[in-house]
Amino acid sequence: MNVVTTKNLSKEYSAKSFSKEKILALSNFSFEVQSGEIFGLLGPNGAGKTTLIKILLGITFPTSGDIKIFDKDISNQSYKKKVGYLPESHKFPNYLTGEQVLHFFGKLSGLSSNDVKKKSDEYLKLVDMEKWRKTKIKKYSKGMLQRLGLAQAMLNQPELIFLDEPTDGVDPIGRKEIRDILNNLKQQGTTIFLNSHLLSEVELICDRVAILNKGVLIKSGRVDDITATSDNYIFTTTDLDESVINKLLVSFKCTIKSKNEFYFNSDSVEELNKLIDFIRQNNIMIQGIAREKNTLEDMFINLIGSKN
Amino acid sequence: MIFLTLLFSTFREAIAKKIFIGFFAIATLIILVFLFLINVDSIEGMVNMMESSGEEGVRQLVIQFEVAMINISYLLVITFCFISVSSFIPSMLEKGNIDLLLSKPVTRAQIILAKFLGGVLLIFLSLLYLIGFVWLILSSKSGFWHVPFLYSILWLTLSFAVIYSLIIFIGLISQSSILSIILSLFLVFIVCPVLYFREETIFSLVSNNVVQFIINFFYYILPKPTDINQITTDIITGNPVKSYMPVFSSVLFMLAALSASIFYFKKKDY
Repeated sequence: MNVVTTKNLSKEYSAKSFSKEKILALSNFSFEVQSGEIFGLLGPNGAGKTTLIKILLGITFPTSGDIKIFDKDISNQSYKKKVGYLPESHKFPNYLTGEQVLHFFGKLSGLSSNDVKKKSDEYLKLVDMEKWRKTKIKKYSKGMLQRLGLAQAMLNQPELIFLDEPTDGVDPIGRKEIRDILNNLKQQGTTIFLNSHLLSEVELICDRVAILNKGVLIKSGRVDDITATSDNYIFTTTDLDESVINKLLVSFKCTIKSKNEFYFNSDSVEELNKLIDFIRQNNIMIQGIAREKNTLEDMFINLIGSKN
Repeated sequence: MIFLTLLFSTFREAIAKKIFIGFFAIATLIILVFLFLINVDSIEGMVNMMESSGEEGVRQLVIQFEVAMINISYLLVITFCFISVSSFIPSMLEKGNIDLLLSKPVTRAQIILAKFLGGVLLIFLSLLYLIGFVWLILSSKSGFWHVPFLYSILWLTLSFAVIYSLIIFIGLISQSSILSIILSLFLVFIVCPVLYFREETIFSLVSNNVVQFIINFFYYILPKPTDINQITTDIITGNPVKSYMPVFSSVLFMLAALSASIFYFKKKDY
């Protein structure tokens, strides 16, 4: 089931006030986010990532296109009760304590006072901010504000959560903790929509990604599929003897890396199986076959670099 | 429930920004000065003198005090309020704050109305404290319990609400507290008094019908806090109110400004 669906979504801004010159922030953007997945939106600065989230949340209005969240048009505000949001560079009223921030935004999400109290205790503990709950947030560090922001986004137990750069300003240990929290949320069935510059992090936790550049969707799909772009297979075996190595070089055009590792390049599954049969006939044990992968970062740089 | 949360947050913001404390400090100072004045010998003597001239004498003295009080409230409290509440909208519109607010299941109209009613309620309570105490002091001292003086709480709150609706509109468009303050003070203390006294001032200098028509046009469409203040004074002094047109046209202006604010806010991208 799709939690978010957009069709031909476009957004134009005026370059300056009263100017006819337009900036295209999103162009005919169509995509879906499926229930229970972690979806990553990638792109360089100014690609339109934050604009897309703001449109999905009704903060900014699209110039054209259709949007459905939970299979309903977003003109009805009620979907927001089932949505959580952590904006990039969020700004909570700095005269409030951490606890009061959660109380205010929890009540705005439609929770009762009792629920807010119960959930605040639970989520402040989860993001390790329990001992700072009575401290005014003007005394918080960037990382603490980010943790509090995450608690705020989870407070109403949303079915869909939008996180814009959630690990911004958080130290490596904190990032790991946030990743664990997101994985837990996923296990509980929450759909997570993530905007992040940290591609290694996206690769670690996202099921699917979309890459945006200058408002245009340039690639989307499962992380595994996007990164496995070559037809190069890495074979790890028990020691290969000379005759086998020769056959591999001549008949299968393999590249030998060591006595028990070689590369085979083919887009034919039949050829791949022939090679496996040949190895097995020569009493060599296959310890592993892996399709060579690019990292998401390699892929991102190649894609964005070629478009610019 | 969500609306009350927004309303309460306006109060909390006012308390946090020391606005409420500022209100009460100024109001308390005025009450204390009033208490001191009413107990000094010369005033005591004046009260005795008035008492000797009968109930009408006491009534006149009390009313004079009340009128003075209205003018003080109008000048000090309302000015202070404008400066204080003008930051409500620009601070709400700050990046990172407005995004979060609009991501919640609240309508944009609810946000504007909560900011408006929160500010108005704040001023109402402040005026209730100031004028209510002065009324109590004055009435217990003189024995003349003049209820129409209490109506001025509502009239002054209405004056504030009318101008506050404009502050909200300017704040939404400009996102600047300073511009909201300058424009509202300019309107209340320069434009409105000049338009109120237009016949004695502008029309005595300019006889051109077109210019007079334009000036009259602005007088009728703009809010009329000076006129409302005069109506308040007339009600307290017992003079007949010439016309309630300034009240109706000011309320219409307030409704128009609020509607325009909601319309603009509903269409605006953040």
